[in-house]
Amino acid sequence: MAKTGTWIAVIAVILLLSVAASLFLFLRPAAGQTAEIYVDGALYRRVDLGALAAPERIEIRTERGVNVLLAEPGRIRVESADCPDKVCVEAGWLEDSAAPIVCLPHRVVVRLTGGTALDAEAG
Amino acid sequence: MDVKRIARDAVLTAAALTIFIVELQIPAPAPIPGVKLGLANIVTLTALFTLGPWDALAVLLCRVVLGAAFAGNMAALLYSLTGGLLALAAAALMRRLLTERQIWVASVFSAMAHNFGQLLAAVLVTATPALFTWLPVLLISGTVTGLFTGLAGQFAVRRLGKYLRHTHGK
Repeated sequence: MAKTGTWIAVIAVILLLSVAASLFLFLRPAAGQTAEIYVDGALYRRVDLGALAAPERIEIRTERGVNVLLAEPGRIRVESADCPDKVCVEAGWLEDSAAPIVCLPHRVVVRLTGGTALDAEAG
Repeated sequence: MDVKRIARDAVLTAAALTIFIVELQIPAPAPIPGVKLGLANIVTLTALFTLGPWDALAVLLCRVVLGAAFAGNMAALLYSLTGGLLALAAAALMRRLLTERQIWVASVFSAMAHNFGQLLAAVLVTATPALFTWLPVLLISGTVTGLFTGLAGQFAVRRLGKYLRHTHGK
């Protein structure tokens, strides 16, 4: 039986590493202004938020449900959804974070990627 | 089948389900998929440390399946099942290394395993490895919630242990 102090040390190390990794991942600016929308793992649409002149609503309708996305110049969010948990709606605007917006019940993922649509296609 | 055992595990399942449903009313602390208190794990933990892994597994499976049905969120079943089973496996392994005053340690690792399992299921289902971006955040949340549910479970084992064990193996 290891001492409780040993366990506290192990947990503290994991916690510190996670905090460092989170800070690195979330404070790091997103690679670019191109929003990629994935449904069921497949690319559904790519929107260049930098080139967007006016707000645009994107409705994703699958057999699982509906997510309505609102893309504005420089940012994108899930405006409404009929999923049970609404985690995607509460996530708010995605404008410069590398962390994706996720709607697990509907298998919808929105994330920002770098470069132009062409670059992303090539990469 | 031992009737006492069925009755006792059913009572634990009912308690876990009640806690699970009440927790649904608490707003998620952060809009990140998988971040939640996981209060129902207090019961899984209590069952594991007083009755052993098989009773804990029975209580867990019944709670997860019924919970998804009661919450009207069958889509979440896959994630909670993967997370729950990994969490129980982690806690059951930790149990061999710990004393009854260190139950919270098992709970912290169990919560981390839960979050990792859920995330893994989510990555596989959505075929989006980018979701692993959330792993460090989920590990932090798992440590905090696991510590809380673990201490609660430790108190439960201390207070309820003798009554639960009393009906065990007879």
